[in-house]
Amino acid sequence: MTGHRREDHRVLAIDPTSRGFGFVVLEGPASLIDWGTRDTGRADSNEALRRIVDLLDQYGPDAVVLEDTKDPNSRRCRRVRELIGTIKATAAPRGIEVARISRMQIRALFSPAGATTKHRIASVVAEHFPELDPHLPPPRKAWMSEDARMSIFDAAAFALTFYFHRDSASEFLNTKENASQETSNHPRH
Amino acid sequence: MASKLENYLRTYRRRAGLSQGEIALLLGTASGTRVARYERFNREPGLHTALAFEIIFHAPAEDLFAGLYDRIEREVRHRAELVVRKLEAGKQDRLTQHKLAALRAIMNRPS
Repeated sequence: MTGHRREDHRVLAIDPTSRGFGFVVLEGPASLIDWGTRDTGRADSNEALRRIVDLLDQYGPDAVVLEDTKDPNSRRCRRVRELIGTIKATAAPRGIEVARISRMQIRALFSPAGATTKHRIASVVAEHFPELDPHLPPPRKAWMSEDARMSIFDAAAFALTFYFHRDSASEFLNTKENASQETSNHPRH
Repeated sequence: MASKLENYLRTYRRRAGLSQGEIALLLGTASGTRVARYERFNREPGLHTALAFEIIFHAPAEDLFAGLYDRIEREVRHRAELVVRKLEAGKQDRLTQHKLAALRAIMNRPS
């Protein structure tokens, strides 16, 4: 087991779901610090927010990364959109940067690695962070509801895309054969 | 960036796929509650437990307890500065010079 880089931004990425949320904490694109799901039992935004505040207190992140629900490709319900807005309103006064990542940005980052579906993106994330591999749900059938654990992988995809659009892209997906080509093809902000 | 976390025990445990209860068994403690307190930075482990964590995760305490290590390092460096000042004000013999070299090494060591 290798140590982890600590000079990078600590990021808490959150993916709210209908029954809670999934999250990851990263210190740089190669260093996964914590991850998990929090089931609030029902669509309880107050309970979800309380648990998110616990994570903010425990990890003191530099940035919180969320889905950009203003993106036309975002298909989030009103409650989740409101929760994301509330998370932003909670994080900002603490001096925590709030970043929004769109589904399009994730797709742009992962598609060159052959990941065009949600499950394939999750598989690439699991290859990048092998400790997540045991949590990777099986591919979803049309009649199945989404496994709650998928929100961990969505949150990880948000976080990795956030780093990619900052300055750590060279480390991202370094095990993928197209990584170096991708880095040169995507302008960084 | 934000300062280092007090410790990375949770990260190392989860990477290893072990539960808090299993870590408690390895530490020889009754339950995972104490492990949870360490992981949530509510309690600092003693030396025996810290060494056990080094053995379990095969990682140095400097990595496992990165934030705590940084804090102690800053405190020790500050104290070394005070001792240097005290020695510099006193008699300057070879032993004093030897001590000053050791203390300055502590102060100047890259972290």
